[in-house]
Amino acid sequence: MRKKISKLLVKSLNKESPEFKEQSNKEDIELKKHDISTQYEQNLETFKSIFSVPLNSDVKVREFTIRSLNRRAFIIFVGTMVDLEHIKESIMEKLLGNDQRSAKIQDIVSFPMEKTATNIGEITDLISGGVTALFVEGDSECYLFETTKLHGRSIEKSDNEVIVKGAKEAFNENLVENVALIRKKIKNENLIVESQNITKRSKNSVFLVYEKDLVNDELLQMIKDKLAALNTDKILDLSMLEQYLEERPRSLFPTILYTERPDRAASFIEEGHIVLLMSNSPSCLVLPTTFWAMMHSPEDHYLRTPYGNFIRLLRFFALFVAIFSSPFYIAITNYHVGMIPPDLLMAIAGSRERVPFPSIVEILMMETGFELIREAGLRVPSPIGPTIGIVGALILGQAAVQANIISPIVIIVIALSGLSSFIIIDGSMNFAIRLTRFLFVFSAGFFGIYGVMALFTIGLFYLVSLKSFGVPYFAPMTPHFTSSKDLLVRQIPLKEKFRPGYVKPKDMVKQRKG
Amino acid sequence: MESGKLGKREYMSIAILMIGAKATDSNPALLYSKVQNAAWMVPLLSAVIFFVGLFLLLKTMDLFQGKNLFSVIQQLLGRYIGFFLCLVIFLISSFGISFDSRTYTNIIRSFYFTTTPNLIIYAVLMVLGAYGAKKGIQNIGSVGYLVVFYVVLSLFFALIISTQDSTLQAIFPIWGPGKLEILKQSSLKITLYAEFFLLTMLIPNMTSIKEFRKSTWYAFAFVSFQISIAILIFICMFDTSLKGIGYPFHTSIGFLSLGLYLPNVEILFFVLWILAIFVRFAAFIYLNALMFGHLFKINDHKFLIPALTTIYLLIGSIPENAIEVSLVFKQAITNISGPTFFVISLLLWFVALVKGEFKHAKNRNGM
Amino acid sequence: MQKTETVCKWLMLIIMVCLLSGCWDREELEDKAYVIGLGIDSSKHKGNIKVTMLLANPEVGSVQGGGGSTEKPREIITFEANDFIAAKATANAIISRNISYELLKIIVVSEKYARDKEFITTIYDALKDKEIRLNSYLAVSREKASEYFIKNRPRMETRPHKYYQFMIEHGIQNGFIPDSTLLRFFRTMERGTDLFLAMYTTAVREKNPEYKKEDEYTAGQLNATGDLQDTQFMGSAVFRNGKMINKLTGEETRNVNILDDTTNIKDILLNFPNPFPGSEKQMSARMFKSGNNKVKMKLKGARPKIIIIIPLQLEIMSNPSMADFKVKKNQKILKERIKEDIRTLNEDLFKKTQTELKGVPYPLSVSARKYFGTIQEYKKFNWAKSYLKADIHVIPEIEIIDFGKQTKKPLKMGD
Repeated sequence: MRKKISKLLVKSLNKESPEFKEQSNKEDIELKKHDISTQYEQNLETFKSIFSVPLNSDVKVREFTIRSLNRRAFIIFVGTMVDLEHIKESIMEKLLGNDQRSAKIQDIVSFPMEKTATNIGEITDLISGGVTALFVEGDSECYLFETTKLHGRSIEKSDNEVIVKGAKEAFNENLVENVALIRKKIKNENLIVESQNITKRSKNSVFLVYEKDLVNDELLQMIKDKLAALNTDKILDLSMLEQYLEERPRSLFPTILYTERPDRAASFIEEGHIVLLMSNSPSCLVLPTTFWAMMHSPEDHYLRTPYGNFIRLLRFFALFVAIFSSPFYIAITNYHVGMIPPDLLMAIAGSRERVPFPSIVEILMMETGFELIREAGLRVPSPIGPTIGIVGALILGQAAVQANIISPIVIIVIALSGLSSFIIIDGSMNFAIRLTRFLFVFSAGFFGIYGVMALFTIGLFYLVSLKSFGVPYFAPMTPHFTSSKDLLVRQIPLKEKFRPGYVKPKDMVKQRKG
Repeated sequence: MESGKLGKREYMSIAILMIGAKATDSNPALLYSKVQNAAWMVPLLSAVIFFVGLFLLLKTMDLFQGKNLFSVIQQLLGRYIGFFLCLVIFLISSFGISFDSRTYTNIIRSFYFTTTPNLIIYAVLMVLGAYGAKKGIQNIGSVGYLVVFYVVLSLFFALIISTQDSTLQAIFPIWGPGKLEILKQSSLKITLYAEFFLLTMLIPNMTSIKEFRKSTWYAFAFVSFQISIAILIFICMFDTSLKGIGYPFHTSIGFLSLGLYLPNVEILFFVLWILAIFVRFAAFIYLNALMFGHLFKINDHKFLIPALTTIYLLIGSIPENAIEVSLVFKQAITNISGPTFFVISLLLWFVALVKGEFKHAKNRNGM
Repeated sequence: MQKTETVCKWLMLIIMVCLLSGCWDREELEDKAYVIGLGIDSSKHKGNIKVTMLLANPEVGSVQGGGGSTEKPREIITFEANDFIAAKATANAIISRNISYELLKIIVVSEKYARDKEFITTIYDALKDKEIRLNSYLAVSREKASEYFIKNRPRMETRPHKYYQFMIEHGIQNGFIPDSTLLRFFRTMERGTDLFLAMYTTAVREKNPEYKKEDEYTAGQLNATGDLQDTQFMGSAVFRNGKMINKLTGEETRNVNILDDTTNIKDILLNFPNPFPGSEKQMSARMFKSGNNKVKMKLKGARPKIIIIIPLQLEIMSNPSMADFKVKKNQKILKERIKEDIRTLNEDLFKKTQTELKGVPYPLSVSARKYFGTIQEYKKFNWAKSYLKADIHVIPEIEIIDFGKQTKKPLKMGD
């Protein structure tokens, strides 16, 4: 019976992708493989058709004659992606205004970055990326100027990973600036910024940032292979890429660290990890990642050792409170009453006497309510945002208690677990914790503390078996690797001698004597 | 750290959780019923006795670098006798796990979930064990390592607060029922450490037998100490009434309180205890599947786990009640398994000696 | 393959959930009625007992706001039952909720029933019930337990569990009542060599109690007046083989508690005769044990000899004769006096235990065990019998750490 059902389910899940009526673009693809011709007219025609020029309003084509050479030429660029001032000053004016006879375009134009290309497809891609292309009559090559100028916000404070002590700047959507943010922290020629194109249609490229003399080559190759193997049209954002890269996309727990802090990225690079950047994404991905990286905060290291360890232990405590306070409440009040001190027991029993729901429903109602308030607080337009919290927490809670829908102790329990869940900084981990909490609530309702512990053990087995690019989730604690023992507590910086062994860096020791 | 290998920390945690848990089940009471207030000496003495067997076994195993117990047995004793012996070991350990798991189910039921049907508690325990076992020994080890500190700490914490209500003088008269009786019971109760014998199945999973041996001795010393201390404190706490108490650990944590305002904290101890039990059975089931796979030449033994677990669950459900389990079934297994394993260890060493394997090894090394 | 696995996993999870959803042991905590005190009386019908349950009302005294409750803080029911475990079900004929012994604090047995030989079988049921913990206390009431609970109306603690918690805790600390948990009871029963002391209590004051020195009362004899309730916890009931045989006064109980290293009494305030001339008044002092007793035994021979050394520290609190303690002689006089006093007190107690009680009321036998190699030898020695003829010496080791304020005699007018 079970087999049948599972077969059916499998069948319904494994459907072949259906046939679609599609228009063929074979010709276009074919065209892109060719080189440009020396014929001025033909080139003009080709590119006008590729970019559908009259239709596409921001693609500009300008025809003119280079006086010094006395040849016809045209430039083509996407008007919204280039620095027009720049084009005018260093390309057009030079080409038009130069009277001296000269044979070479390179000598005429003052624009600094110049290269040449012949392949139509390549040129097309570059133009789409904001490059200005110059076609000169009779030349078999096309001149390309990197005139790209994108508009975006400037470097701002980190919003989602707030710290008190330490650098505040965060990545923004501008890739160049992001790389600069990392470079200015690691001034080393071994820092490599390698680009790799990962999609076919939108040509999104990913930048791998790593230190050549640290990173493990196998790991690097594995990531490169994985990126190359992505068979998709578009990945617009790093957060999408994260999902493509993960080994277990359905898993509740994240296996890649997503951070918007350049200082964090830099410190991971220094330890032999690989960081992925993408233009348009105000963040980076750190691979491989362990559970510990998710739980740590850069501030742990910025603060002095005792303070840093204090907040770190606090965070681990918060992790347990966030997960276990509601299930524990249910387990104890429903199954193991004897554990509660008599006074508290009496108080709970007294206040619950008029509540119409069983305590598990109570908890679930409040948990859902809390999640609603939280989500609403995020989405509400900012002027009224803060009020939502107050309205939600105070009015709703107070009213619910007075209306005898919820007992006051439940409010305390939920508030505690909700508050604690905010302490876990990593966004994905935060979600994982919030979701597992619901599972734990159910298990507590079904089987008291035994159920909670059973689920916890399953969770442990599962987490331990998770791997992020071949690195076990709880490394270097178990399985054991040499490391600076930066796990539950950290050492003083002097004692942190080793890079984590699980990434197998080329250089294990951070500071050698002498 | 080679990937896919079992680290020494992880192996030690498995060993400590598997054997150390015996201090918390019916073993202390069982020992007390035999040798009264000298019961705390039995774990130490039988450790010494079992040490001899284990030492010789490991010495023999040393000759066959990286081979597990069953390969060694079959290589030394030939295909047929070897197979038969392996089968005996597998059967003993299978019955052992069945009634052991049933004992723990009984504990959970009688102390914490009195009205829940036994089968449900049992099924959850075994399903979890199977899930863990399916994840493989490395992961079992990792989970074990993550929890072992807290488990051992909580056990000792419970024992320390138990001393508030106990009198050390309860261990007198020091020799209990007489030295001879203690010695006799110690030799019978080497089953306490029988799992160390089975753990030699894991040698190929470790980086080297040297590492295995070292970790085994550490774990062995710690565990015998732990069980002995636990029994000592139970004796001091319950004195003569220990014989009427089935599971002293659980009775004692039911009695404990942390000051006046946290009166009954047994759940806190239960939480960590049950974690240890889950890991214990995961490792146990894995070992049995490994043995079965080896016995019948099934390479991917992980697929055996669900089936084996179900069989153990069914065997474990045969006894009607807790008394039957502890008096009839478990008694039989405990009296058989330890001595059998001990004899097998000696036998292997003896055969290796007669066959001149030790000399060969020496010659090989000499060259 | 991946998908199949996931589906199978989820299916397993669903099956597990379905299996688990039975919720057998689940019970909301307000569905239970918590028994704080359990009373056991003899019944007219043979084999039965009369069970009294003192139930706490959680709504009173613990909920702030939510409408002032006019309910009473407790409920007491008494009925006939075979034992107190099955009585839980019977009680549901009267009480609307499920009866639970989870919070059981005290089991009160009437003196009459405690002297019955049936008592031991009844109390052993406590071991069978999972909810009853071995740290509940056993007490003996002079009147019927059912009356005891009804008459016992604490003025200051409305909630019954608080009353018993405080009363017992401080009683044990002062040493007037023994630390009679069930664990100790069963331990003593199983050991079979010593007597067990259970706390003695009553809610009825004796009409005209005779005057005694400060602590020589048992419960009900202390003549206190004022606006108060009559319940008193004082002294102890002596059990021999699970049957009550006698009573000890508060002072005797305190002495036993001092001798017993397994209970923790705090510092105690006590009076002793004034060795100095000039005043009839007794002196008072604060006394505490500075360590465990040292027990030495010579068990060979016809008459075993037991020497008990009690290390004590004292702070003198009053000085009615205004003796000058700067004088070494006075210090010595005082020390000798106290020593003698404690010695006779204890030796009298031991004499009483040997003649009247026929057993030692605390686990002294445990100290004797170390003089034997094996259990067989120890059994042959037969502690219970040998103790009766033992020669017992008590040596208090007194250390006076504070003589109090050095006061001079107040000047008389005209001097």
